[in-house]
Amino acid sequence: MKKLIALFITLIITLSFAGCGETKVPVIGINQYGEHASLDNCREGFIEGLKEAGLVEGKDFEIDYQNAGFNDNTATQIAQSFSAKNVSLMCAIATPSATACFAAAEDKDIPVIFNAISDPEQAKLTDGNITGMSDKLPVDAQLQLIRALQPDAKTIGIIYTTSEPNSVSTIADYQAKAADYGFTIEAIGVTAQSEVTQAADTLINKKVDCFSNLTDNNVVGVLASILEKTDEAEIPVYGSEIEQVRIGCVASAGIDYVELGKEAGKMAAAILKGETTATEMDYKTVSEYSTYINSEALKEFGINVPTDIAEKAIEAE
Amino acid sequence: MLDLIISTVTQGFIYALLSFGIYITYKILDFPDLTVDGSFPLGAAVTAVLLLKGVNPYLTLLAAAVVGAIAGFVTGFIHVRLKVRDLLAGIITMTALFSINLQIAGSNLSIERGIDTIFTSPVAMTLLGSATLLVRKLIISLIILIICKVLLDLYFKTKSGYLLKAVGDNSTLVTTLAKDMGRVKIIGLVISNALVALSGAVVCHEQRSFSSTMGTGQMVFGLATVIIGTTIFRNLSFVKGTTAVIVGSVLYKICIQIAINLGLPANLLKLITAVLFLIILVIGNFHKGTVRKNAGA
Amino acid sequence: MLELKNISKIYNPGTVTEMCLFEDFNLKVRDGEFISVVGSNGSGKTSMLNIICGSIPINGGEVLINGKNINRLKEHKRYEQMGRVYQNPALGTCPDMTILENMSIADNKGKPFGLGFALNKKRYEFYREQLSSLGLGLEDKMNIKLGSLSGGQRQAVALLMATMTPLEFLILDEHTAALDPHTADIIMELTDKVVREKKLTAIMVTHNLRYAVEYGDRLLMMDRGHIILDKSGEEKANATIDDILDIFNRISIECGN
Repeated sequence: MKKLIALFITLIITLSFAGCGETKVPVIGINQYGEHASLDNCREGFIEGLKEAGLVEGKDFEIDYQNAGFNDNTATQIAQSFSAKNVSLMCAIATPSATACFAAAEDKDIPVIFNAISDPEQAKLTDGNITGMSDKLPVDAQLQLIRALQPDAKTIGIIYTTSEPNSVSTIADYQAKAADYGFTIEAIGVTAQSEVTQAADTLINKKVDCFSNLTDNNVVGVLASILEKTDEAEIPVYGSEIEQVRIGCVASAGIDYVELGKEAGKMAAAILKGETTATEMDYKTVSEYSTYINSEALKEFGINVPTDIAEKAIEAE
Repeated sequence: MLDLIISTVTQGFIYALLSFGIYITYKILDFPDLTVDGSFPLGAAVTAVLLLKGVNPYLTLLAAAVVGAIAGFVTGFIHVRLKVRDLLAGIITMTALFSINLQIAGSNLSIERGIDTIFTSPVAMTLLGSATLLVRKLIISLIILIICKVLLDLYFKTKSGYLLKAVGDNSTLVTTLAKDMGRVKIIGLVISNALVALSGAVVCHEQRSFSSTMGTGQMVFGLATVIIGTTIFRNLSFVKGTTAVIVGSVLYKICIQIAINLGLPANLLKLITAVLFLIILVIGNFHKGTVRKNAGA
Repeated sequence: MLELKNISKIYNPGTVTEMCLFEDFNLKVRDGEFISVVGSNGSGKTSMLNIICGSIPINGGEVLINGKNINRLKEHKRYEQMGRVYQNPALGTCPDMTILENMSIADNKGKPFGLGFALNKKRYEFYREQLSSLGLGLEDKMNIKLGSLSGGQRQAVALLMATMTPLEFLILDEHTAALDPHTADIIMELTDKVVREKKLTAIMVTHNLRYAVEYGDRLLMMDRGHIILDKSGEEKANATIDDILDIFNRISIECGN
């Protein structure tokens, strides 16, 4: 027994030493909340942005990428290990990771670049050595798009997680603007992913004319099963970004997360080069958005795309 | 490297408070208390809201412990007075707490740097201002941990503490001692959940945030730390249960940190936890077997 | 005085396994009596004890102590004036606590279990004295865990613990049945001594006919929820094992045992 304990402790010590080699190249710790397509795009874009700004991986920076598996506690532990390892900069993708990084960076004042946060003001991630890219949804553009594709539609169904500040603020945005386009919003709040499909059933039962998605992690996570139900009920679903359109949403006025990531990467590059600091830079919202369409899905619902939209739209494949 | 060890040990200390709670319910009362997954974020929710309202950071800890105690009482009441099975009573409270936590906090909350936590308050700065925040976190969480440990150890020496131990050991005896064992169970749950909520509160100060899902899996974490701790010190009877649990909690956090540092995908962390858990249980059982054999010879 | 009046007890009422054990069962226990109860399995001995202690609910009738109905008194409240020793030695003590700790909690029965320290140094000598009266050498093992003692030793401590504080009634539920004959004899003698010394009213259920005849001043035999034999005073003093065994065999044969 004593031998086993001794072995165990030795193992721990060896492994923990093995875990952290010291390098002189500045390390960027990427704390990604979980793995799903748009968050992955953010990360890829971020690295690309660094390169576009003239930095070379291995020489000017090194990436330490960790993902938290959608677990807040893991996000915290990752952030703390970044801080303990004295990374030069933290890149946080999605709100829980950003909150964790910002708290862990407090002591050493490590700059934090966030990515894919809808409402940095509400998440209190605006003051201090932190900046980044907001993926605030272009609600006006989305409503305009839906009106153009479904001229007779009256109600839009939206499912959102009540505990996600991003979703709550976007819903408020939707509700404020819907009337301008002649819509009413049927919003159903959920507290966990397991409740999403039930919420979808409720919306279908209420005979909404279409669904519109937010960038809500719980909802996006089970989008495929929502689409199964809505396809059967012949209700089109509008996505909030390209990945959702790829899966089977009819269209989306959305953000290109790779572009979003690139912008964030450029911010990080500027900080690494010493041109500016995260404290000085304000966070940015993407002003550019694109229209993504899934022609196959549109055809199934018999929706005609007006030519002016069709010309600009990008086919999501 | 040193920083990493400090921050990991700090985590171990903070979560050891939660492990104390589970030590009381699981190890002493033999009560699988799932309330934990709800009372942990409850402590954080109350703390976050009070901090944002400008309440003294140390008072928020007290408030968190009190609401945690209430949560424990509710589970106890459901189990003892309404005669619902222990596991189910905990699940009912946990489920209700999920909504209550969101009701208290509104949504997930962050606490901006302008607001003082227990680690940055004027008191902490006067006493430990020269140390870095990292070290301050270590020292302050250690102080909180030691206060709780000493109080608990003292409590276990009181008559009420003896009765608590007796309920888990042999509840029939407690009845024949003319004591209502239901009441003793409720007391145990109250103390346990107060500690769990306190742990949630300190985590909220440390992470500057509350999230509604932060309680998920905490019961299993606590269970693992208690079993790791008590298995390691099985033979050393002079080591107090509370000490063993602290060691268990720190070891657990170190293991997770190693897993992260080795670059293992986060998706596998739970699997690693499960395997680690199993290994320790098996070592424990294997050891028990040899003892029995020796005793028989 | 303890009295069971018109007690009825039905197990699993309303189901196919419904079994009526007691119907209009009556028993009066006078103060200071030491009653031994014998009977075959299922005759209702232990159920009777459980009804007295409030461990199981009854379907009708009254349990009276000194003429006062205690039907609604909860089990743990009844133990304020009763002590009980079980067949299983593990039920009377806490295995993970030391002898000293066990003695301390037993000593505190009837007083509030508050935040005062449980171990009272002033009582240490008293506990030693009590333990040495057992003659098992336990007074030198006060700091070892009870779980490491043998069944007989545990039962001896359990008996000590059950009778440490002032009591009115002592309930002995086949308390020698799980022990080897020699240890059983020791425990039985000890029981007799304690009951005599403290002038307790005791009810002892036993399968050992010899104990039933030798000890106690009243003997009951139960069969299928009825008292079929009740000897006290002279009658009890003159009873022999053979007499009792005779009756016992007769009822057993009727039952088909």
